[in-house]
Amino acid sequence: MRSLLTGFLTVAWTAGFLSAAEPSLAHIDFNRDIRPILSDACFQCHGPDENKRQANLRLDTKDGAFTDLNGHAAIIPGDVTKSTLLQRIVSDDPDEQMPPAKSGKQLTADQKQKLRQWIAEGAPWTGHWSFIAPKRSAIPPVTKQEDVAQPIDAFLLSRLEQAEITPNSPTDRATWLRRVTFDLTGLPPSLDELDLFLTDEHPAAFERVVDRLLASPRYGERMAVRWLDAARYADTSGYQSDGERFMWRWRDWVIDAYNQNMPFDQFTIEQLAGDLLPNPTLEQRIATGFHRNHRGNSEGGIVPEEYAAEYVVDRVETTYTVWMGLTMGCARCHSHKFDPLTQREFYQSFAFFNNVPEFGRALKYGNSPPYIAAPTSDQQRALTQLEDRLSAGQRTWKQLAPGIEQAIVAWEGTLDPKTAPAWSFTQDRLWTDPFDATPEEARIRFVASGKIESAARFDGQNFVEVGNVGAFGFLDKFSLAAWIQPQGDRGGTILSRMTDVEHGDGYALVLDNGRLQLNLIKRWLDDALRVETIATIPANEWHHIAVTYDGSRLASGIRFYLDGQLVPHRANLDLLNQTFASKEPLRIGGGNGPQGRFHGLIDEVAIYGSVLTSDEAATVATPETVREIVSIPRDRRTAGQQRKLRAAFLELGAADDIKAAQTQVEELTKQVEIFRETLPTVMVMEEMPTPRATHLLLRGEYDKPGERVTAGLPACLPSMPDDVPKDRLALARWLTDPRHPLTARVAVNRLWQMVFGTGLVKTVDDFGSQGEAASHPELLDWLAVEFAQPANGDGAWDTKRMLRLMLTSAAYRRSSHITPELLRRDPENRLLARGPRVRLSAEMVRDQALFASGLLVEKLGGPSVKPYQPAGLWKELADTDYVQDHGEKLYRRSLYTFWKRTIPPPTMLSFDAAGRETCVVRESRTNTPLQALILMNDVTYVEGARLLAERARRESSLALSDRLTHAFRLVLSRPPRSEELAVLTAGWQAQRTRFEHDPEAVRQLLSQGESPRVTDVRDADRAVDTAIMGLLLNLDEAITKE
Amino acid sequence: MNTELSRRAWLQRTGIGTAALAALLPTTVHAAETVSHFPARAKRVISLFQSGAPSQLDLFDWKPGLANRRGEELPESIRRGQRLTGMTATQTSFPVAPTKYQFAQHGESGAWISELLPHTAKVADKLSFIKTLHTEAINHDPAVTFFQTGAQLAGRPSLGAWLAYGLGSENRDLPTFVVMISQGSGNPNDQPLYDRLWGSGFLPSRYQGVKFRSVGEPVLYLSNPPGIDGIARRRFLDDLAKLNQMKLADAGDPEIATRIAQYEMAFRMQSSVPELTDLSSESSHTFEMYGPDASKPGTFAANCLLARRLVERGVRCVQLFHRGWDQHTKLPTQIVGQCRDTDQPAAALIRDLEQRGLLEDTLVFWGGEFGRTVYCQGTLTANDYGRDHHPRCFTAWMAGGGIKPGQSIGVTDDYSYNIAERPVHVHDFQATILHCLGIDHTRLTFRSQGRDFRLTDVHGDVVTELVT
Repeated sequence: MRSLLTGFLTVAWTAGFLSAAEPSLAHIDFNRDIRPILSDACFQCHGPDENKRQANLRLDTKDGAFTDLNGHAAIIPGDVTKSTLLQRIVSDDPDEQMPPAKSGKQLTADQKQKLRQWIAEGAPWTGHWSFIAPKRSAIPPVTKQEDVAQPIDAFLLSRLEQAEITPNSPTDRATWLRRVTFDLTGLPPSLDELDLFLTDEHPAAFERVVDRLLASPRYGERMAVRWLDAARYADTSGYQSDGERFMWRWRDWVIDAYNQNMPFDQFTIEQLAGDLLPNPTLEQRIATGFHRNHRGNSEGGIVPEEYAAEYVVDRVETTYTVWMGLTMGCARCHSHKFDPLTQREFYQSFAFFNNVPEFGRALKYGNSPPYIAAPTSDQQRALTQLEDRLSAGQRTWKQLAPGIEQAIVAWEGTLDPKTAPAWSFTQDRLWTDPFDATPEEARIRFVASGKIESAARFDGQNFVEVGNVGAFGFLDKFSLAAWIQPQGDRGGTILSRMTDVEHGDGYALVLDNGRLQLNLIKRWLDDALRVETIATIPANEWHHIAVTYDGSRLASGIRFYLDGQLVPHRANLDLLNQTFASKEPLRIGGGNGPQGRFHGLIDEVAIYGSVLTSDEAATVATPETVREIVSIPRDRRTAGQQRKLRAAFLELGAADDIKAAQTQVEELTKQVEIFRETLPTVMVMEEMPTPRATHLLLRGEYDKPGERVTAGLPACLPSMPDDVPKDRLALARWLTDPRHPLTARVAVNRLWQMVFGTGLVKTVDDFGSQGEAASHPELLDWLAVEFAQPANGDGAWDTKRMLRLMLTSAAYRRSSHITPELLRRDPENRLLARGPRVRLSAEMVRDQALFASGLLVEKLGGPSVKPYQPAGLWKELADTDYVQDHGEKLYRRSLYTFWKRTIPPPTMLSFDAAGRETCVVRESRTNTPLQALILMNDVTYVEGARLLAERARRESSLALSDRLTHAFRLVLSRPPRSEELAVLTAGWQAQRTRFEHDPEAVRQLLSQGESPRVTDVRDADRAVDTAIMGLLLNLDEAITKE
Repeated sequence: MNTELSRRAWLQRTGIGTAALAALLPTTVHAAETVSHFPARAKRVISLFQSGAPSQLDLFDWKPGLANRRGEELPESIRRGQRLTGMTATQTSFPVAPTKYQFAQHGESGAWISELLPHTAKVADKLSFIKTLHTEAINHDPAVTFFQTGAQLAGRPSLGAWLAYGLGSENRDLPTFVVMISQGSGNPNDQPLYDRLWGSGFLPSRYQGVKFRSVGEPVLYLSNPPGIDGIARRRFLDDLAKLNQMKLADAGDPEIATRIAQYEMAFRMQSSVPELTDLSSESSHTFEMYGPDASKPGTFAANCLLARRLVERGVRCVQLFHRGWDQHTKLPTQIVGQCRDTDQPAAALIRDLEQRGLLEDTLVFWGGEFGRTVYCQGTLTANDYGRDHHPRCFTAWMAGGGIKPGQSIGVTDDYSYNIAERPVHVHDFQATILHCLGIDHTRLTFRSQGRDFRLTDVHGDVVTELVT
């Protein structure tokens, strides 16, 4: 009942709860009692949004509410009869009555009475509580001082004493241990931990458990889960085809940060602005992935500017929700209806996040720029080793270098110019055609006098079809080279692999208006890349051309060489998103349809499966043979000739030590390069050198720019120092200023939600005037101050310390037993007379089954994994295959499960996991038949039951009651009571009579899951055990923290 | 706080009837009584969503004048510089591509329908067409999300989730909101779909649509694992209930009682869903009516038949998604397949519902996320053309409970490019659906982050001439 109604009771709470707990109000507190009424009933038309404001009356500010409007005032302090606000709300006249009927709002008699009392008492007005910095609250006196374990308890008890509610007595040790172990590690305690604690007579036994759990690496994994929800972390981009992205290095950064107990201010600064810190470390840059976790749209045909704006909006909304509990998104299209946040201020916040060098259309597969290589520490070590070896090799090479020039001279001396070796650069050369002597009649027809011997002649009609050569896609590295002599200025396609129509799919090297141009096309215009040289190539003379592509999908990954020299180019289109691989043959002189063929001569075409270096490009552009070079006087050789001769020497004439040194450098260079390419990347925040201009967007629409704005903050919040640049770093520092009214409150409130099930401010995502007032405002402020400005001066922003305070409190130790009286007085347990009793999160439900059965594979971090999922789920919606993992990857903790945003893991979603499309900080719990079906039938739990049965057999005696008791303790951390054991035993016997006559059923049940089978799948007892263990995993208590 | 009291407080706020609340509490499911701002004409909804966006120009919105303008450039007076998708925005030419299909008027209402839809033509008088539906997004993901949730971006509840929340269930043994997917044969591997289209957004997750599947189990995790039969499961549930009852007595948490009830509901689903999806009791006449695909699980035809069986059993909202309408190129080839998939079954569903007396209180609607352009995408040839996305006007039809049949709402210009008369925004369409179900779209709200959200955001007007 309670959780079914969660979410509906926002307003009922304030009124209903108080009337039950405090039948008569001693006095009216404006922020607790009055502002919520005004906000909900009045602000929509008489609030901050000036465009919608009626009758020029504003009730969200003191000035507005008290101001004289033509001889009337809404509120005249102390004067109940003359205050028009009161007249209007009590009026029976439909024309007069406020709020008007059509608003759908209605005030209760109680609310009207409160307004009356408040005005009668002089209408004391204070600003909205959450915009006023918290002060350290005095710890209230309580009668039962012995019940106070932490200052927290004094606040809670004082309230309970006022309400005359006696709190529950402490729960038993086992229940507390299970509770705290779930809260800090997301897993139940082991039996060893349980036994140790049950007999630990040390006075600090409880504190020691908390410290042990806080030190466990599982703590970081547990804490990370909720942060990932807030950060909308996922493994795919989230729109339409929803391709994979790689942000797990950021996820692992979060786990690590929690485990290191990184102070929350640093945790904030590094994630919001790690890149802007002086000399940022790799880890600090990885941290900024926080604000690249939002969804990215790669759908063909979108207007990139539209989504570029959405990404920034998402960052603004997320930042405000996570750090300030404000619904800033409401001010995107118009000023906020309830809180003093103007539309202009929204776009001032927008300006902080609008300077990322990003493009609105995301890449369909993989990370979208900006991203960085983010090696793990193991990889960093391996890379350093490799690079050290390379440097050593280079040193050796350098030592040999001075001798090389002399050796070349000596080698030249040994060469007879007439018989000197023929040598050309052939490394990674996949194919070449010199267009020299060829028997093919068709080809001979086109042969003309070439750059080297003969060449092919193209007249704008003919072309050469080569076949399946140069089959490259968008992730391949390749280089194309040729000699060309354009005839006139008509140019044409030099070589291509594409559908032979204009702008066809594939790749093409083209001479267009004298400019060398590379086209990589999946779909012309919106999924294509076109770059061209800035300089033109003179017609009617021979030039060597080469182009290289590094598989980056970007124009910046392309180089052009003219006659062996790098030449500048520009990108006309840089929108490649899918592979341009084509089944068409390679064509020389053809492509782009009949109008696109080449006019001129082409010679010595070569295709390489790698990116030519500039040295190599110069070498291949040198037409002279080694023999010819040798006969040129040394001082008249071109740089290209020198390079070519040197390359030939190193291959043919060098001494063994030189060759060995060179081979080593080459091989290590390649190894480093390959290693670097295997490194994980992560999307990060970067700042453009010149900030993008930010405009207010009319109605929030990307194509309706209004007034230009610069970075700034809402006037209702403290201002930033004047002398700092208004950038993300300044924003992050401002947020973590200990005097900030919201940051610490919002953060401790989320910790409270995690521990006690509901925040002190229940609306953890709304601290504005529509949010719910804190159930214990003094406690919230005390905690906030203790977090940001601890009394003893050190340990500021220490998350573990705050958790320790909560978890070692008497309140946390209370039994969660609910009496009808307590249920009636405080159904949501807001006064915490009892301990929390809430269903485990989606991740905990699964992780517990893996843990209890011994299946869980504990390994911190790494790429996401794909555990069991019903076949075909991705296929039926998106035509992609879910390739399930096997072995250890089936049993990792749930936070490592691959999260495809458009089709999330169904078991996680059914247990109320956040969808990860947008920021979610509120915990939600429902209770549905689909959950029952999952726990009964999903292979995860059936296999879990099988392994739990095995484990019980292994670890206890073979007596049935021992096995059952052992398994029961593994799941519930307590032995079964006799009546429970009786139910289990009777159930066991009943299932036994069935299984003993059905060997096929035995075999089937014992074959569920991929973990190793038991030795004998014919053993009916084991099948019965499995069925009964399934029962344990389905118990309400098993999936509940209590 | 007394729970009755809090419940009343909530009901008062949202204006939702008591039974709808009861539906949230499966332990106390009663015969349906629903949210009712005014008398509901329809109790149930079947949505036949055509994903990818069918071409209004080739199906319903006949523009006879275009035949003579074939290949002419789309006049600037029509195009008016309005935004296009990135796929054609930089096309150098926008040649008019008239439909290659014949149109005729059908029924007493004289509805213009293309020869591609002969079966739909026969039920024309049962349907009402909206020719001037329009939307804001020009790409699939945001447009489909907008159509299903009232917002382009992710995070809002879907139509079916709103209905489940507002109206509750009429059936104790089946989900309130069921979704079925079929693949188009005209354009296989077309636009993907997303779970959010039937998600619950910020509503509690219990309101999300349950997907009925044609491969594997009809509902995820429905079947007992191999080795566990119905008898073993019953015993399991009895023992589980005993242990949970003991816990309830000990802990006093009413949530445990709910959990016990949910396990019983799960058990009932284990028999009610297979019974539902077993079509063997359907007559050969029925199969003939729905066409040859009806006996092939997972087809649009089979899903239409299942939709009828679902509404017969009181399932509140059934949504079919048929993929394959995104015809940028080779439209004539692809649209024939799509129409073959959908025409006969959709018409059969209307007739079948009517024969069973269900059409009068079941609302049925057919449409996609936007329309398609009159100009050709790619090269216009004698027999081939393609059409890009077009948000400015498209056609949908509605029929059944609450709808005045035989009407045509709105008029587009001679190019089916802009609206000439009576625009109907997607929010208007959504408001009209809710209206038919007795819900004032401005009053079905849910508070999230301090704001009362609606399916129709702050927009939407009921298309009054369409409703009875």
